[in-house]
Amino acid sequence: MNWKLLYLFVLSFVTTANFAQEKRILSGTITDAKSNETLIGVSIYDEESKKGASTNEYGFYSLTLSAGTHTLRFSSMGYQNEILTINLQQDKKNNVALVPSQEQLQEVVVTDSRKASNIRKAEMSVNKLSMSTIKSMPVVLGEVDVLKSILLLPGVTNAGEGSSGFNVRGGGADQNLILLDEATLYNSSHVFGFFSVFNPDAIKDLKLYKGGIPARFGGRAASVLDIYQKDGNSKKFHLNGGIGLITSRILAEGPIVKDKGSFLIGGRGSYAHLFMKLSKDQKDNAAYFYDLNTKLHYQLDSINHVYVSGYFGRDVFRIKNLFENQYGNATFNLRWNHLFSNKLFSNFSAIYSEYYYGLNLDFIGFQWDSGIKNYNFKYDFKHYLSDAIKLSYGANVIYYDFNPGTLRPNGAETGINFRQLEKKKALEPAAYLEVEQQLGSKLTVNYGLRYSAFYRLGAANIRTYANNQAVVYNAELAIYEKAIPTGSIYYARNQTIAQYANWEPRAALAFQLNDDASIKVSYNRMAQYLQLISNTSSPTPLDIWMPSDSFVQPQLADQWAVGYFRNLRNNRYSLEVESYFKVVKNRIDYIDGANLIANDAIEQVILNGKMRSYGLELMLRKNEGRLTGWISYTLSRSEQQTPGRTAVEPGINQGNWYASVYDKTHNLAVTSSYKFNEKWNFSANFALQSGQPVTYSNGQYQYQDITVPIFGLRNQNRLPLYHHLDLSASLIPASNKGRSWQTEWVFSIYNVYNRFNAASMSFRQNLQTGVNESIQTSIFGMVPGVSYNLKF
Amino acid sequence: MKKIIALLLLSILVFSSCEKVVTVPLETAAPRLVIDASIACVKGVPVSTQTIKLSTTAPYYASEVPAVSGANVSISMANGTVFEFAEVNQTGVYQCTNFEAEVNAIYTLLVNYNGQTYTATESLQAVPVIDKIEQEEQPKIGGGGFTIDIKTFFTDPADSNDFYLVRVNTNRTAIPEYSVTDDAFFQGNQVFDFYRNEDLVPGDVVTIRLGRISQRYHNYMKIITSFSGNNGGGPFSSPPATVRGNIVNTTNPDLFVLGYFSLSEVVSQTYTLE
Repeated sequence: MNWKLLYLFVLSFVTTANFAQEKRILSGTITDAKSNETLIGVSIYDEESKKGASTNEYGFYSLTLSAGTHTLRFSSMGYQNEILTINLQQDKKNNVALVPSQEQLQEVVVTDSRKASNIRKAEMSVNKLSMSTIKSMPVVLGEVDVLKSILLLPGVTNAGEGSSGFNVRGGGADQNLILLDEATLYNSSHVFGFFSVFNPDAIKDLKLYKGGIPARFGGRAASVLDIYQKDGNSKKFHLNGGIGLITSRILAEGPIVKDKGSFLIGGRGSYAHLFMKLSKDQKDNAAYFYDLNTKLHYQLDSINHVYVSGYFGRDVFRIKNLFENQYGNATFNLRWNHLFSNKLFSNFSAIYSEYYYGLNLDFIGFQWDSGIKNYNFKYDFKHYLSDAIKLSYGANVIYYDFNPGTLRPNGAETGINFRQLEKKKALEPAAYLEVEQQLGSKLTVNYGLRYSAFYRLGAANIRTYANNQAVVYNAELAIYEKAIPTGSIYYARNQTIAQYANWEPRAALAFQLNDDASIKVSYNRMAQYLQLISNTSSPTPLDIWMPSDSFVQPQLADQWAVGYFRNLRNNRYSLEVESYFKVVKNRIDYIDGANLIANDAIEQVILNGKMRSYGLELMLRKNEGRLTGWISYTLSRSEQQTPGRTAVEPGINQGNWYASVYDKTHNLAVTSSYKFNEKWNFSANFALQSGQPVTYSNGQYQYQDITVPIFGLRNQNRLPLYHHLDLSASLIPASNKGRSWQTEWVFSIYNVYNRFNAASMSFRQNLQTGVNESIQTSIFGMVPGVSYNLKF
Repeated sequence: MKKIIALLLLSILVFSSCEKVVTVPLETAAPRLVIDASIACVKGVPVSTQTIKLSTTAPYYASEVPAVSGANVSISMANGTVFEFAEVNQTGVYQCTNFEAEVNAIYTLLVNYNGQTYTATESLQAVPVIDKIEQEEQPKIGGGGFTIDIKTFFTDPADSNDFYLVRVNTNRTAIPEYSVTDDAFFQGNQVFDFYRNEDLVPGDVVTIRLGRISQRYHNYMKIITSFSGNNGGGPFSSPPATVRGNIVNTTNPDLFVLGYFSLSEVVSQTYTLE
């Protein structure tokens, strides 16, 4: 890998410097005037040169301008615009503090155009949601939920109510890279998908990349959900909290050293289970979850900042004498920002991230523990090379330690033997280079290359099979069966068992038609080295992540997207139309009856398949005024195919393409927020989706006194149409005026017309009558909620 | 304000899932032959009457399936013994009154019908005895009282990979309930099968039948019980498919049959709840 050559090659694209006009660099950090919180994605625009820039994840910006007078406009969602006139004769450091446009809890009046589509940037298929927008949306049980809000965006859906995870552009729930302050989270929900793990009070910024994914991200095939926690108010101590029907939360933030250092600590917990203690038979049962978010920030000097963040979350379910289930994520990271010059910004991160799953089955007599630990070191640079070119480059390495399961007997009567499934280790290094370049006045390009590699490491005993086939096809019986291993090979500690390497090119192009409209095109290739082993319609916490190895190849996704972006009526409205096509190689599929739980030899039950999805996304947004919101509509198809490995084999579903379980042909979401007056704000959400694909029975037979249903091809039918309307109202009492602590009431109703949307269809006999029935399962009917929020 | 809060807090939130029996328009596949040949030999009873049923598939909501008459059904052993199964009164039920159970022997099924020949092979393996049956009172999962769990203890032989099929009949259920297990986690130990039916009360009678089965039959029944029976379906189930058995059409392999030819030695015990 000749890095020097690659760097020089890219540098040769740099437009020759204009020697006639001297260039000066204006740089600095942009913060919130009230809290000193650095602001991400603030737009800086120079009226004279018509050049623009935006702040990075740490609030830093750098703009190369010609010497002379410049009028600069700084704008960001939820803040008042700041206009500065500067006479630039030499390089200048200019930090700006933006004043929030509203000082109340609810930020609803948007006075600037930051919400409007970004016409110039070659960034497409990205949705940025402000926390104030998310907090105003009505959700189940009155609990603000980041993930549920994402579902209202075009191209995003999920397998159904009560299913955890989300699906982006027809991709699997395991194909989303979920980052919290750059640390990877493996499970994004509590209580099987009812709540997300993100405490909304602790979140600063949220961005979802559905396509055109920049080269600095890698490791998952479909999307990146990049979430940043707040740093903490370094000016003044603040307390933020809320009491709801199901959960309560409290967040404390404040300065450690005024204007230089800050801390943030927040907790959220559910307590619905406490009501169980009142009933005699339920008193030893428990069902709760909790999250803890922490952050520490210290500014060492003008060019060095240090951040420490941590997250800890757990779900606990306990039914006395039956089972206890605990699972959750934990992350810890240390980051160091260093400014090498006013053109070169760097960040070094050391991250530890862990996912734990434990199940204690008292009634059988065992304790099951499994989990993933990963250690990640990354060094990222943002190089503001010239007024037309910005480079991003860096490298990272992740070390994985998987525990697929430890089975421990407990209790006197247990018949279970101790068993440790073989632990798996792997290393994933990557390096990238990304160029953002302005070519002429109308064309902006963003192209990059990522090089990623993966090493599956020992110590391990790897099974060998005849013809290297772990799954055999029994032609006589027409079924796939596990192959019997012929032996095993021992790999020593850190010896490479299997290795993969991929070039991942990324490219995006924006062509500005006029000041208000542009056309964008993008392509990205993503390599995913970890696979989630799951054959159920929606992911369960019991699902195991496993690294690619000699039998399981990495998933490779190619996505093309094209879009038309237009701001209407002076940025009052924006219209985004995008179309995408995606193909994924090496998507795992499972043979009938595959047992995935505690299976040490997954290779014996899987077959290699592929997946493709395509669709059209439309989004019309109203950005300003008392009524804001958007309508999003997606028309799409997502399907999978696992053909037989030879002409004789049928593959899965006879080798035909079949709809993925989360394929929703039509997906309409409408969200709106109306500021009635200073006290009341009303919101409404409406979602309408095609029913989930399902396999209907096409007959039955009797076997051993029970009915056995038979089925046709997979996922040919659909559940009924899914739709619900949710309303919420928030009240800011008049008594808030003038006092230091602010309160707010939020009333919400999820699913106001109480439609029991189908979540699944099963075909089974009634145990009491023996009659063959088809049973539709629903999760939610109408659910009211109320919460009381406090801010000090 | 205070009144509204109180009312809201009083409203009971029911967000547990709810099930509804619905009728949906279903297609019906062309009828296919089904051979229900599951031979269960009670431990300690060397000669017994065994039944094989032949039928075809039917529409899903039908209350009965068509019987298949006029077939020739027989099971033979490696040593040449042949057991003929004679049809009882054109009911599709074929019986043999002198079936001999020999542990570890290999049996071959042969069915002739409509010009097609179907065959399958299985062997009979010994089952451990039921050591004891115990009951334990536990709180119901959704709340609202207590229920009785039935535990059936047996000891797994340490020297082999064993697969089991348990069948439970009760006076409260119209159909038997099946579950399968294998000894991967409890090789050589005394273990118990766990059965819970929250409708059972003291005085009810349950019959537990434990059988030793082959690995392939275990895989077959595992798929069947994943979507049939009381715990089938739901959002956490795997995609349902028509499951193939071990009976092969030697005349025309594409015209496959459903059902399975299995042999298992079983032990049965009836237990009255206290």
